[in-house]
This record gives sequence, C-alpha cells and structure tokens, in this order.
Amino acid sequence: MFPKRILAVLVAAAALAAFDARIASTAGELPNRASSIKLAVIGDNGTGKRPQYDVADQMTATRSRFPFVLVLMMGDNFYGRQRPADLVEKFDRPYKALLDAGVRFQAALGNHDELHTTEYPPLNMRGRRYYAFAQGNIRFFVLDTNSLDPVQLRWFREELGRTTEAWKIAVFHHPLYSNARRHGSAIDVRTVLEPVLVQHGVTVVFSGHDHIYERITPQQGIHYFVVGSSGQLRRGDLRRTASTAAGYDQDQAFMLVEIDGDELFFETISRTGAAVDSGRILRRPVTSEMEGRHED
Amino acid sequence: MKTDRVVAPFGLPAEQEAPSPGVRLAPRLWGFAVEYLLALPSGAVLALLWANLWPESYYRATYPIAFAVNDIAMVFFFGWITKEVVEAGLPGGVLHSWRRVALPIALSGVVVVTSVVAYAVAVRVVDQPMLEQAWVSSAAVDLALGYFVARLIFGRAAAAVPFFLLVAISANAIGFGLLALTGSFVEANPGLAVLLMAAALAVAVLLRARRVTSFWPYVLGAGTLSWGALYFGGVHPALALVPIIPFLPHGKRDPGFFVDAEPNAHDTLSRFEIWCRHPAQAALFLFGLVNAGVQVRALENGMFALPMALLLARPLALVAGAGLAVVSGLHLPKAIGWRELIVIGLVSSIGFALALFFASATLGVGQVLNETRMGALFSAIGGFCAVGAAWLLRTGRFAAAR
Repeated sequence: MFPKRILAVLVAAAALAAFDARIASTAGELPNRASSIKLAVIGDNGTGKRPQYDVADQMTATRSRFPFVLVLMMGDNFYGRQRPADLVEKFDRPYKALLDAGVRFQAALGNHDELHTTEYPPLNMRGRRYYAFAQGNIRFFVLDTNSLDPVQLRWFREELGRTTEAWKIAVFHHPLYSNARRHGSAIDVRTVLEPVLVQHGVTVVFSGHDHIYERITPQQGIHYFVVGSSGQLRRGDLRRTASTAAGYDQDQAFMLVEIDGDELFFETISRTGAAVDSGRILRRPVTSEMEGRHED
Repeated sequence: MKTDRVVAPFGLPAEQEAPSPGVRLAPRLWGFAVEYLLALPSGAVLALLWANLWPESYYRATYPIAFAVNDIAMVFFFGWITKEVVEAGLPGGVLHSWRRVALPIALSGVVVVTSVVAYAVAVRVVDQPMLEQAWVSSAAVDLALGYFVARLIFGRAAAAVPFFLLVAISANAIGFGLLALTGSFVEANPGLAVLLMAAALAVAVLLRARRVTSFWPYVLGAGTLSWGALYFGGVHPALALVPIIPFLPHGKRDPGFFVDAEPNAHDTLSRFEIWCRHPAQAALFLFGLVNAGVQVRALENGMFALPMALLLARPLALVAGAGLAVVSGLHLPKAIGWRELIVIGLVSSIGFALALFFASATLGVGQVLNETRMGALFSAIGGFCAVGAAWLLRTGRFAAAR
C-alpha cells in the first residue's frame, strides 16, 4: 500500500514537471520592444505566505529580461489582518525589489480588502474605490465590483466616453467570465457591465477572485483574463469548457503584458518560472456606432 | 394569523360563472400567502431557484424592473406599515402612552448601536471587510415576520408582543434615519426636495381640513409630491406615504396590530388599508422576486455575518440595556423578565424584509449586495432560535410546562 502511494506521487510529480516543461518549450516569447509599454498583472496575492513571496521573486527575476514599469493588482491585495505591520508583511516586503526599482503598483479592491487600504500610498489608489489612469496610449479603468452602484457605473460610462487613448483596458476583482468551480462568472455584474464594455470599445478585461489563471475565448470581441492565483491558489479548480482558451490551476501565476501600437502581447508565468500561456491580441477598433455617435 | 373574515382576493364577485380549477386555485393560493405573510418568502424562493438555474435570464428580467418594484411598488407596503403604526398611536394601541414606550424606544437605540458594532466585528471574523458597506442593514428588524413569531410564542395579549413591536418600530425608524444620512445614488436637489415636501404636506393638510374622505387624493396627490420630494432629497422614495398617512382621517381606537379593518369600515385609513392589502402583498412578492435572487455558489462566508451579528447582539443589547434601565430606576413592563427579553431579542434578530430593503437601497450590484441579501434571508433563522429559546427558558406558551 505504502510504496504504491509513493509511486503515485512520483508519477504525478513527473507528469507535472513534463507538463511545465512542455508549456515552457511551446510558449511564445514577448517581443520586448523598446517602444512598448510593459506591465505585469497579479491578483489575489496578499496572503503574506511563501507562495506570494515566490511569485514576487519570480517577477523580480523576470524583470531583468522584461523591464515592466507597472503592476496591475486585481484585488484581495491583503487577506486577514490589515494593520500597518500586516501591510508591510503582505505587500512592502514581498515586492521590495520591485518597489525599490521604481515599479508602480495600481490596485483594484477585492472582497477581502479593507477600505482603508485605498489610502495605502504604494497601491496608488489615493483613497478611491474606483479610478482611471493613463499609461502611454492605454487608459486603465479600475472598478470596484464589490458594489457596482449606479454612481460608479455613470462615472465609468463618462470616463470611457472622454477617453482619447487608443487602448481601453478594464481592471476589477470579480470575473465576468470564469470557469472556476468555486465562484465562476459574476453574472449579476456581467449583466450590468458587459454592455458598457462592448459599447465603448474595451479590448481587454483583467480580473481575479477565482484562484486560478484562465484566458477566456473572446466574448463579443473582448478578451477576458482571470488572474487570481498570484498568492492564493485553488489547485484543480478550473473546469475547462468551450469558453476556456487556456488555463492553469496547478501553481501560482502572474502575467506579463506588452503593448505596442495596436498589438498586445501576453505571457503567463508560473511560480517556478514556466510560461503557461502566451499570445497576441489586436486592439478593437472603436466605431462611431459603438460610442453612440453619428457622423454627419 | 389575521381575522377569520373570508378574503376575496382580486375582488372576484361571488356570482361569477364557475372558473376552471386552475383559475380557482390561484386566488386561493394568493389568499393563503397573504394570510400567512408568505408573499415575500414565496418571491424569495422563486428568485433563488431562478437565479441558480437560469442566472442570465433572471438578472436580465429583474434588473430592468428593480426601480419600479423597489422605489414605486414598495410605497404601498410602507404605506400599509405606516397605517399600522398610526393606528398603534390611537387609544388602545401599543404606542398610545408615552410612558409605556419610553423604555422600549431607549432600548431600540441600544439595539441598533450594538448590532452595528457586532456587524463590524462579524465582517472581520469572516474576513469579508468589504461587507462593512452594508452596515445599515444591521439596524433592520422585520416587523411582520417578527410579529408573527412573537405572537406565536407569547400569544396576542401578552405584554411581550407590544414590547417587541415598539423596539422594532423605533429600531427601524433609526435605520431609516441612517439610510437617509448615508445618501442615495441619485444626485440630491435639496431645494426642490423641500419645495415638493412642503407642497405634499400642504395638500395633505388641505384635504384633511376639507374633510376629504376618499384616500385617493391623499395617495395620488400628496403621495406623488412626497415621492418626488424624497427622490430628489436623496431619501428612499418608497417611504413616500409615510409622512402622508397620518393625515388620513381614521377611527377612534386601534383595532390591533396587523388586524384587518372590517370590510364595512368607513374611515379613510381603514378604506385605504382594505384597498392596499393586496397591492402591498403583491409589492412584497415582487420585492422578494427582484431582490432575493443570489447565485449560491458565488457566495462566501460573508453571508453569515449579518445573521451572526444580529443573533448575538440583539438579545445581549436588550438584556444589558434593560439591566441598565432598571438600575437607573426605570421599570420593565409586568410579565417581562430576562427570559422574555432574551426571546424578544432573538425575535428582533429577524432582519428579513427590512434588511433586504436596506441592503438594496444602499448597495450596488456585486458580492457585497449578494452576501448581505443572503444574510438577510438567513436572519429568519432568528425566529426558530426564538421558539427554541422560549421552549428552553419555559416562557410564553411554554411557561405552562414549567
């Protein structure tokens, strides 16, 4: 009985290693162009435990070959206690090398975050539950999907309408599409938000909440990513369906993103440094019909 | 639970041709739901089934009608409740003597403060701090279901029932005050709001002075102006009839809380109640249908925060508050001791419809709303806890076994 169990564990470990190696060998490289905007994406990271630190170390190591300047955080930036000392342990310490290198973090709120963390300077939220910011030709819209009230929705519509940047990327905690067993798609939020995203030409949506990585096949022209395993992990939680373009639920992961002109390249890296997904996305053209404008 | 008068739902005339069995069954079911306050639970159960079996169609169908249900139809429910409170202030009513109401009103303040504090602790215990946005829901006490349970335990004549009602009414009044303070999602226009409310009250005063006996001018004239005033004032417009109902001419004595008006009653308030009974229950059914649909698999421990806080805080608040009051020289009503206070506290931990209403009024779409809604539904468990506690403590109808 006992040797059989050991054998099973060894076989599983070997299979996992082979799987990781296969992904690494087939994954595409990011172009790493000098003119591009480079960023990383993490989610559900704030545990303060070993895996979060491992992912942070992997991000630091990756940055030597891919010098990203920005990290998007999908929320659940902190779990459990959130006193000043906890914020240091769950944020400052793991990401110290990146912070020291001048990398900017921009966070969304998750359901485990306390509201006062919006005032925490390194998260660059400046006390706001939702906000927008620009980086080059991209405008990021960071929403609070814990409570998507009409005031926030109105603000989002107005901001989208005002945007002059070519790329529109939405960032929020609860995924509109997810094939995770635990939570899955936030259909209530999707009913309200998706028409706005479609109408205003948003190309990419990053979310977290489900502790897996998943890329969804484009839905009404929008590419959805679930990046909720940069600290937490719910191993084996992904139930692949026809809408799963790619997924990874065997280890913690984070994303690298590069935007140059009308192209967005992405690569998803596991805690051990294996590339588990990659690809290229073209920006959605914004038509006057989308914006509800009519040309004379 | 109400009078044994035969109800004719939808006003079907008795001499109509015999309808088919299905057509006969629907009014009977409706009558049963109205009699036993099952309109909201029925809507809630239907919503839960629908939201979990066909979530997309549920949200697509209910979101567009949420405003019509929550902000307009619910006007009749709160009008109906206000009518009960107004009558309770008449001779024979539980609110008639200020000496009797002073202690429960003071205790309701303790109940609300303790509940809010307990809720703030509970959301951290379950590690869902974002739920603190739903704190107003922790002030809610369900009047109808609570009254049903209190009467079940203590019987209609017991002093504990009006005591519960007083605590519940004043706790909810505080809750509505907090709701108004936290603001609404509408950009407020205070000038217009004051103007409209002044007009609403002037119309109501004028109607009363001219001894208008039909309730329609009060509801459609003054009520509509009041609705606009609350809407533009950033206060929930479902309360539009609350300032208007007291102007309706009424009988001399309170017939009792949630006791139906006689079909031949002539006073305006009773006529309003007779007309309003079914629209109010229909509003409650729709309110349950529109607001209680939550996808269960998306929920986390946060859904336990509200019932947990209410179950712990309310008996504690009532016993501790009453203890302080007694030490300060006040007297508890006869036949109410610490056993009864614990049971009343558990009865008042039922937030249910009011907690659901407060949640829907203060929160946007998303996890916080879903978990608070589920918590509001779960808080009905306080009724079972109250019955269990009454049995254990041998109080109310279980006292005979002592």
